[in-house]
Amino acid sequence: MYTLDFALQILANGIVIGSVYVLVALGLTLIFGILGIVNFAHGEFYMLGAYFGITAAAIYGLSLFPLLLVGILGVVLVGLLSERLVFRPLAGGDMTSSIITSFGLAVALQNAALIAFGPQPKLLRTPWAQIPVEIGPVFMPLQRALIPVIALVLVVAVHVVLRHTWTGRSLRAMAQHGTLAQLYGVDVKRVAVVTFAVGAALAGGAGVLMSSVFLVQPTVGNMIALKAFTVVILGGMGNVYGAVSAGLFLGIAETFVAGYLTNTLRDIVGFALVVVVLLIRPQGLFGRAIDRA
Amino acid sequence: MRRLGALLAALVAGAAGAAAEPARIGIMLPLSGGSSIAGQEVLSGVKLALEEANAKGGLFGAPIQVFTEDDEASPTKATTAVRKLIEGDKVCAIVGTYVSGVALAAMKISRDYKVPMSSGGSTAVMVTDANEPGNPWFFRAFPGSDVQGRQSAVDTVEVLKKKKVAIIHDNSNYGTSLADVFKQIVLGAKGEVVAVDTYNTGEQDFSPILTKLRALRPEAVYIGGLVGEGATIVRQAAEVGLRTQFIGSGSMMTDKFIELTGPAAEGFAVSSMFEPDTPNPVGKAFAERYKAKYGINANVHSALGYDSMSITIEATRRAGKCEGPAIRDTLATRMADFPLVQGPPGTTAKYDAKGGVDFLIGLAVVKNGKRSLVTY
Amino acid sequence: MRAFLIAVAVLAALALLPLAVAGGYLLHVLVVIFIFVILAVGLDLVMGYCGQYSFAQGAFYGIGAYTAAILHRDLGFGFWQTLPSGIVAAGLFGLLLGIPSLRLSGHFLAITTIAFQTIVYLLLTQWTSFTGGQYGLPVPKVGALTLFGWELFRVETVRDFYFLALGCMAAAIGVAWRLAHSRIGRQWQAIQDDELLARAIGVDVTRGKLVAFVASAGLAGAAGVLLAHYLQGVSPDDFAIWTSATVVAMVLAGGRASIVGPILGAVLFTAMPEVLRSAQSYKLVIYGVVMILVVSFLPGGIVGLLRRERRA
Repeated sequence: MYTLDFALQILANGIVIGSVYVLVALGLTLIFGILGIVNFAHGEFYMLGAYFGITAAAIYGLSLFPLLLVGILGVVLVGLLSERLVFRPLAGGDMTSSIITSFGLAVALQNAALIAFGPQPKLLRTPWAQIPVEIGPVFMPLQRALIPVIALVLVVAVHVVLRHTWTGRSLRAMAQHGTLAQLYGVDVKRVAVVTFAVGAALAGGAGVLMSSVFLVQPTVGNMIALKAFTVVILGGMGNVYGAVSAGLFLGIAETFVAGYLTNTLRDIVGFALVVVVLLIRPQGLFGRAIDRA
Repeated sequence: MRRLGALLAALVAGAAGAAAEPARIGIMLPLSGGSSIAGQEVLSGVKLALEEANAKGGLFGAPIQVFTEDDEASPTKATTAVRKLIEGDKVCAIVGTYVSGVALAAMKISRDYKVPMSSGGSTAVMVTDANEPGNPWFFRAFPGSDVQGRQSAVDTVEVLKKKKVAIIHDNSNYGTSLADVFKQIVLGAKGEVVAVDTYNTGEQDFSPILTKLRALRPEAVYIGGLVGEGATIVRQAAEVGLRTQFIGSGSMMTDKFIELTGPAAEGFAVSSMFEPDTPNPVGKAFAERYKAKYGINANVHSALGYDSMSITIEATRRAGKCEGPAIRDTLATRMADFPLVQGPPGTTAKYDAKGGVDFLIGLAVVKNGKRSLVTY
Repeated sequence: MRAFLIAVAVLAALALLPLAVAGGYLLHVLVVIFIFVILAVGLDLVMGYCGQYSFAQGAFYGIGAYTAAILHRDLGFGFWQTLPSGIVAAGLFGLLLGIPSLRLSGHFLAITTIAFQTIVYLLLTQWTSFTGGQYGLPVPKVGALTLFGWELFRVETVRDFYFLALGCMAAAIGVAWRLAHSRIGRQWQAIQDDELLARAIGVDVTRGKLVAFVASAGLAGAAGVLLAHYLQGVSPDDFAIWTSATVVAMVLAGGRASIVGPILGAVLFTAMPEVLRSAQSYKLVIYGVVMILVVSFLPGGIVGLLRRERRA
């Protein structure tokens, strides 16, 4: 049993899970790095993406890629509304209040989803669930194998936007030094809007992708948000490459623990790592040493 | 003369008032949140029993009044709900609840207030074990989970003829006790248990466990846990390429389960106390009435809801008054002739000293996407 | 002095309430409010006065409650023994959480407390052999309270427990008040205002922060023991991150660094779901919206609003 084949299969599964963590954590770390907001409703963006995808599939019978688009657009809308109504009024004030308001938002969204979609768990059915993909000893349905691929495309897209567009430059400027960026004419409001849109889009996309793998219920946002926070802390808050590396690392670590030790320890792994990292190197494995006062 | 008239008038008014006093029964189930699918199915059976009773005139000459509370599968909320039902709504009997940990918390309160409770689906033995033997206040008109686990193991070896098994169970009391009893029986029958794996309730990703099992090639895999995880396990097993006979537990044999699992559900087996094609004539008639009313097939949840409610109503009628201790005594001693829709033909509500009823559990299998009983 | 008289009057009114009210339901809601008051007032010490954001109050609450359950299961402890044990156990964990606070602040500290809260919750749900997992553990009623073999009174019904909870709450408020208005309380405020300056003028910042965490955790532990004996059981979902966030909201909405504020906040957020009961599924949506509104538009909380009114 403890053969290379087994390890490779576990690794493959870890990469799939890790890709999802990367997408959700990336949005979270962007919102924190650029706007300084800790968004506890981020898991709800993921959950709503899944629900929008499933609903669109049920009504219009679309296939995966159009569904991805619909899910992302729907969640972006929710993200923009949240930014405008919940987070912008607090801008400039005590940032820790944003944690509480985002909790309130999370509860409101979760229960609104419960009312709108009902408590029955749902699953996205695509014909690609039955098509097996075999890469050497690794066996996986096509539906799952596509996830890291799509995640890669999205991450590369974000990277390109950040590095090579004017919008991206203003985002980075805000992240490095907010006041100075403003003095140089960066439109803070526009930055906030774009950041939330991108963050929500990534989380929503992850939700659509995973809705074909895991059952979707109004509460799925909770655990994924906590995992995303774990990744963000491990990778360094505000650090994009940290989020990508830490996300994959967490996914792989979890599946290896589950496969070789016991499945029951899998959730604790991440949190235990977080505690260790926070005590020894609070800026994360990749973060810069940030002024802590 | 006038005083006599007044006295007569008071007597008549009193008698009329007493005759029209409706019976008050409480219902407590998880109607929102994770267990709500099961909770709603149990409620549908309860409601059918209620309607049929009211159509026949109700209890004590008036329609039965029911008060429904949602315990949200939380012991804390259940404690509040039970208090509200007993003190606020003044019910004399309660039908509830589904999640065993919640039922345990709730029955302690209702026992203090001397109001009997009939299980709304809770099967874990720990709840009836909390009854003082010979003095039960919590009643369960069907066998406990330990009996179901035992039967599953026996049927796996003798009916399905599989001897090399693996066990996956959740790490709750419920899942662990099921797994233990299953393993015991299989080993006793000279079978082989190649692996026992645990998962946390609410787990979504079983691919590591299932990949491990694929390498071990078991003939059968027993799942000890709840419906949601069961469906995910069977579905993901197919995705990982694990082909084996799956045996479920508890109430995994429902149409919803088959829907969530998809084509991988074919051949799935669960020890079941009721299926619409049951040979029990009382049960079969119930299945037809249920289908006529709701348009969908009854399952074990709706059946036990129906049973618990009908028993409660009948016990209240036989007790003659809407009073907790009287109903409790009737349940414990005078219901042994009341037929149940669950179980093999001839099953009745004969409660034992701990408030449970024992009968043979059948094996149901998914054939062509439909549930059917193969043994009984 | 005036504040003290008002407090005594309110307590007296609460003490006489069961004589006027028949139903156990109202008393039950009040017991829950009393328990949350203890949680909120405790959190105010570390968050309101000392300025250290803590989202772990739910975890300490749970540690107190589970200590009671486990000590009862393994050592047969009754209420008189579980109460101090729960306080001490929670206090020790509070000390543990205080250590990161010495090096981190603001967001980072908040996230650390959230990580701590989550680990505790996961251990409660997943370490089934020790904590009973998702189903939790049973806890006996308080029963007879004896002093040197003399039975003082029995706590059996909701009414009896009401008095017990009322007494505990009064004691907790008293302790918190004394701490907040003592030298350490002033040191806490100094730390919150300007930590560097406080250190420069000789305040022992380390001791101050650690004491704040221990005090608030200890009070939460007491609340946990009370809950455990009241519900006659413990289960993990009462001690999740949502509970911590609610307690933080209670302190912020009521008004930080004012013992009265958290009390008002606790009443508001406990009474709200009961009042909204009829709204059923919408009630939690409303709850979330109220949380957002209160924190966004009343940064000083209700107390801040009252202060402004008085000045105007």
